[in-house]
Order: sequence, then structure tokens, then C-alpha cells
Amino acid sequence: MRGILAGWPVWTSYVVITLLVALLTALLHPFGLAFDLVNIALIYLFPVLLSAVYWGLRPAFYAAVLGVLAFDFFFVPPVVSFTISDLRYLVSFGVYLSVAALTASLAARLKRQLLLSRQREAHTAALYELSRQMSAISDVKTLLDNVAKHISRIVGAEAAFFLPDERGVLAFAHASPASGSSAAADWGRGDAERVIAKRVYENGEPAGIGTAVLGESQGYYMPLRSEDRAFGVMALRLGERRSAIPAEQLRLIEALRDLTAGALARVKLAEEAKIAQLSAESEKLRTAILDSVSHELRTPLAAMIGSATSLIEGDRLFSSEDRMELLATIRDGALRMNRLADNLLSMARLESGMLKLRKDWCDAEDLIGVALAQVQDFRQQRTIRVHVPEDVPMVLGDEVLLEQMLVNVLSNAIKYSPDRSEIVLTVRAEEDAVSLSVADRGSGLPEQEYARIFDKFYRAESSGQATGTGLGLAICKGIAELHGGTISAKPNVPHGTVVTVVLPLDRRNEPVPIPSGKGTNEHEQQ
Amino acid sequence: MNNNETGARILVVDDEPQIRKLLKVSLQAHQFAVHEASTGLEGVQQASLVRPDLIVLDLGLPDMTGMEVLARIREWSEAPIVVLTAKDGEDDKITALEGGADDYVTKPFGMRELVARIRVALRHAAKSANEPVLRIGELTLDLARRIVELRGERVKLTPTEYDLLKILASNAGKVVTQRQLLQQVWGGHHNESDSHYLRIYIGHLRKKLEEDTTQPKFIVTEPGIGYRLLAAEPEE
Repeated sequence: MRGILAGWPVWTSYVVITLLVALLTALLHPFGLAFDLVNIALIYLFPVLLSAVYWGLRPAFYAAVLGVLAFDFFFVPPVVSFTISDLRYLVSFGVYLSVAALTASLAARLKRQLLLSRQREAHTAALYELSRQMSAISDVKTLLDNVAKHISRIVGAEAAFFLPDERGVLAFAHASPASGSSAAADWGRGDAERVIAKRVYENGEPAGIGTAVLGESQGYYMPLRSEDRAFGVMALRLGERRSAIPAEQLRLIEALRDLTAGALARVKLAEEAKIAQLSAESEKLRTAILDSVSHELRTPLAAMIGSATSLIEGDRLFSSEDRMELLATIRDGALRMNRLADNLLSMARLESGMLKLRKDWCDAEDLIGVALAQVQDFRQQRTIRVHVPEDVPMVLGDEVLLEQMLVNVLSNAIKYSPDRSEIVLTVRAEEDAVSLSVADRGSGLPEQEYARIFDKFYRAESSGQATGTGLGLAICKGIAELHGGTISAKPNVPHGTVVTVVLPLDRRNEPVPIPSGKGTNEHEQQ
Repeated sequence: MNNNETGARILVVDDEPQIRKLLKVSLQAHQFAVHEASTGLEGVQQASLVRPDLIVLDLGLPDMTGMEVLARIREWSEAPIVVLTAKDGEDDKITALEGGADDYVTKPFGMRELVARIRVALRHAAKSANEPVLRIGELTLDLARRIVELRGERVKLTPTEYDLLKILASNAGKVVTQRQLLQQVWGGHHNESDSHYLRIYIGHLRKKLEEDTTQPKFIVTEPGIGYRLLAAEPEE
């Protein structure tokens, strides 16, 4: 009831009051003269109270005046005339009117206070909701977007934000989504707004409508400050309004401003902490690279230089067997350096982002064949069992890189498993992917290390004597990801490691199988 | 068979003195007569002066690209050319192979590999084109009767499989690029998806010829380049 009444335009309240008084008069009139006139006057107070509660002061006064007139006209003798025979009735009218005025003003004040407290409650709820949302947001854009939406909802004004860019120069950062006129949409992006914002940012004092500074502009500009740092400027487009912002609204706007500044400070601090952490990590990585590369370069070099100088200087001292051994040392050292150079170059190419895939249809069996041939000498007495189901679909990828990936995974399995153990390579065809897994029977790794073995220069604690740079698996990861695939590792049962590569299939572009060669039907020759 | 290879003149075109020295010493030890050129231009001149039986050409030369040298020599000479390339130069390898090179060796290489390539290339150059029967290790192709035998047993092949094997066999020991295979078996122009068919047929051939298709003994894949039918290692 209240909601419906409150929703009506102002003039309807007067109509309703008029009708109410008329109805009352019509109801009272038949018995009117039987009643005591004082009671009738009291009954006429009802519309006044009703109006005061629902519509405020003015309608209540209107009801009071209308009530007096109706009472006078229809009930005070001489009836159906405004003339009054008994002048004592004037006192009654006076009392009636003052009672009406008093109750009306009391009721109206009550109503206004109710309205205000309800509004405050709504604002508090809105602020609370906003602050709750903000604490979950970690990027500036979403944050500003959220604040802008709240401002346009609570205050009914468009908001624009100015934040310093990388060089510390204040620049337009975000505005409420364009609603309404194009002037509103463009607002905030112009030079004028930026200049004002810059000034506010530098001075730390609000400017615009209702302030001493630039009062004639279209907006209200506030610095976003938290403790002693300025994070930017928030501007509200208040449109054609020329007067100062009402205190109640200003308080709300300031609360929003402080919330935004606080959230910005939090996001900025988190970003700074992250950068600090990253640079510490990259420092650690650089040290790891230097350690690993210098060790991996120097060890084979020392062996090669030592062997070569021995051979040159003391040729006669060595038996032919010794000589062969020294020569083999030189060859192995050089091969090791060659592998290191290959890995470093591959990594650099992968990281540069310049690597272009030479995509071609690749057959899993074909890849495995080439990879097995590559690790043939290296595997010593380990057996490598291969399970490839019939009709594995072909993968569209770079044959050379995929083969390199497979060689790296196999080499890793060989390196970390004992001689004469078994390595199992399994290919599985899935709905939209082909997976290749290599399972070894080595000592495996603690569960938590599996997530890290694909990191650059990471070497497991337990890797011990095995040589390596910690690049092989990182390269595999880079290659798998270039193909839109994944690589993962987990413990093998009962011990060892399983590394699995999953490569996506592009079923849509797969060619229709088997064209006939030179137009003949394919059947086996007799 | 080795007789006509011994004493063959080999021209080495490489700008690195150390590689030239290595090749000279090693190839001479294998009874080849070695001539050297350190630039592309010198290489082209030497090729016409020395009339080598085979040219070892480094694709990374300072004065002109290996591809230019290749083209200039191929204008008038049919001497087999083995190119030396960098590890990741798949495109260079293909361009060189399709531009007239007979084979390639990736740097760094083992001497045994290079000498094997040189021998295969020399043998191909010396062989008459009209041999009716090809024998590659345990594999026999009777070209006149279109019959393939493995260890004396008849192998049944479809016409496409036979054509594919014939091309690989007549280039035994040499690499054949995917495009060369596609053009010679299917004819005409080819795009990416055609390599799909090529791989399917190679797979079929392997199933019929190889004991273990994941460890092929006959048809080996040269990743990113093509295929090679392994010739039996010539006895030293």
C-alpha cells in the first residue's frame, strides 16, 4: 500500500485527498446533524494524518484546509453555506487547523527521517557490497569497472578514472560504460578533463563543481589517496548540474573515493610485491644458468684439452689402447658439448617466440622409429618396449621438433634408470588427442618435484652424478605447448617415472583417406 | 665395386680451414684425391678446372650462398654434390636437395657418415640407368616384371606401394624428399595434406617389409626432409 501510494506523482495525492474528503462528507452528511459537530471535526482529521504520513507536509495542509471548508459548508449551521452563525466555531476551526498542522508536520518529519535513514542504509549496504567485491579483485581494470558501475547506480553519475602510466604521467584509465548520449561516452577522454585531473593529482585537492577551483567545469574531481600516496584521480560527470553536491551525497562519494583508493593501493602493492618476487626469481635463475652452463661447458672441455695435449706431447708414452681411450674421451666430450649447444639454441629459439612450426602430418610410429634410432647407442642394455595400437591418427606438427621432444624424454628416462631395466613407450589414441607416454623403472622423484621438472634449469635433488643442464624437459614442454599440447610427469608403479605428452588432433582438417595412385584401383598385385 | 670409387677426385668447398683440413686428411686416408676451394667463386672455378667426380659443398659460404654455387655448378656439371648444412637448416636441406644436390650431411658429422654418403653418391653416378633388377641387401626389385622379393620370398604390393618402393630403391642409400616422392608417384602439384597419404603408404610398405615397424631397417625417416632406403653397408 505504502509503496503504491508513494509511487504516485504529486498531483495525484491532491486528487486522492479531494476525493477522500468528498467521500467522507458524503458518508457523514446523512447522519451529520445527528452527530456532535466536534466528532465530525475530529473525523476530518483523518485525511490530514493520512496525507502527512504518505505524501508529506503540503498535501497534509491541503487536506486540513479542504476539511475545514467541507466541515464549515456542510455541517456548521447555517448548513450549505460558508457563513457561520455562531462565531465560537471560528475558535474550533482555529484549533482544528493548528492540530492538523502540528500532526502533519510531525508525521512529515518522521517520514523524512525514515526516508533518510532508509537511504543511508541503502548507501551503507552498497558501500559494503562494493568493498566486499573489491577485496576479491586483483586487477585494476576490473576494479575500476566495478566502481564505475556502483557509482552510476548509487550516485547516478558517470565516473572516469585517471591513473599514472608506466612513466608516471597521469593518463585516462577507465570510464563508465557508454550510456546515453555520445557526449557522455566521450567524457573523460578529452584534454580538458585530463588537465584538470592532472592538477588535482598534483595538488591533492578536489576540483570542479562546488569547489573553489574550476567550479564551472562539468565534473567533480577527487584525488585517490591512501595514506601518503596518490594513486590517481576519480572524476564524476554530474552533467548540467551547476550547484554544489548535497552534503549527504558528497559523504557517499567520498566514501566511494576512499574505498577505491584503498583497493588501488592494495592492488598496486600486490603488483609491486610480485615484481620484486619475479626479479628475485630471475636473479636466482640467472645464477643457476651460469652455474649449470659453466659446469657443463668446462667439464667436457677439460677432458678434451687434457686428452688432446696428452696425445700431442706424449705420443710415445701411450699404448694404442690408451690412445684410443683418450680419443674416445675427446669424442665424448665434444658430443656432450654439442648436445649442450643444441639444447641452449633450442631453448633460445623457443623462448624468442620466433620459432615457426613447419607443420606436416606426423605418424607416431615414424617419430618413434627415428627417436629410437637416435638413442640406440645411449640406451646401453636397457630394453625399450613400444606399444603402438593400429591406426593411430596422424598429428599435424613439426616433425623435427616432435622427434627432438621424444628423444629428450627417452634420454631422460634412460639417464635416470638403471642399466638393464625396462622402458615402456605407449601410444594411445583418444577422441581428440594422441598421447605418448614413456615409463621408466628408475628411482623416481618425490611427488612434489614432478611439477618442477619441466622448469628451465631445474635439476632434481636426487639427480646426483647424472650430467645435464636441466634444459631437456623444459624444451619438451616448450615444444608440446607450441603444438597446443601438454606434458606431465607422475610416479610410475612400483617405482620410476612416467612422462606423458598429449598432442591435440585436428580432426576437422584431416584429409580424406586414400586417393588412388595414378588412377588405378588399389589392390595387391598378383 | 669399390674399385671405381678409389682414387675418385673430390672437390671440397668450405670456408673453414679447419673443416677443410679435416676433410682433406680423412678423405685422403680413404683413398680419395682431394681438391680444395675456400669460397663459392673459387669452388665454381675449381669445379670446371678439376672436373671432380664429386663435390662436398658447405652451404654457409661467405661470398655467395651455397644455393647459388649449387645452381652455377649444375648448369653444366652432373657430378654428384653432397652438401654440408647446419643442424636446424631443414628448409636449406630441402632447397638444396630439390635444387640438384644428391645428399646432405648435418654438421657436426662423423667421418663414417660422410664417407658413406660420398660412396653412395659416387655409386649412383657410375651406375647405368637401365638395370632391370635392383638388389638392396635382402630386398630384390625386378623392374621388368614388377616383382618384389624379400629374402627370396615374394612380397605383394599395391601399384602405389610398388611405385614408391621403386623410387626409393633406385635411389638406394640416398635421401628422397617428400615432394620428390609425391611428384614421382602421384604426379602434379602437392600440398601439405598430401604428405598424409605419403605417410600412410610408407606405413603400409613398412608393415610388409619391416620386422619391427618402430625400428625400420629398410625405409628410414629423415625428419622434416623425406625418406631413405638404407643400402647395405659396403664392405670396407
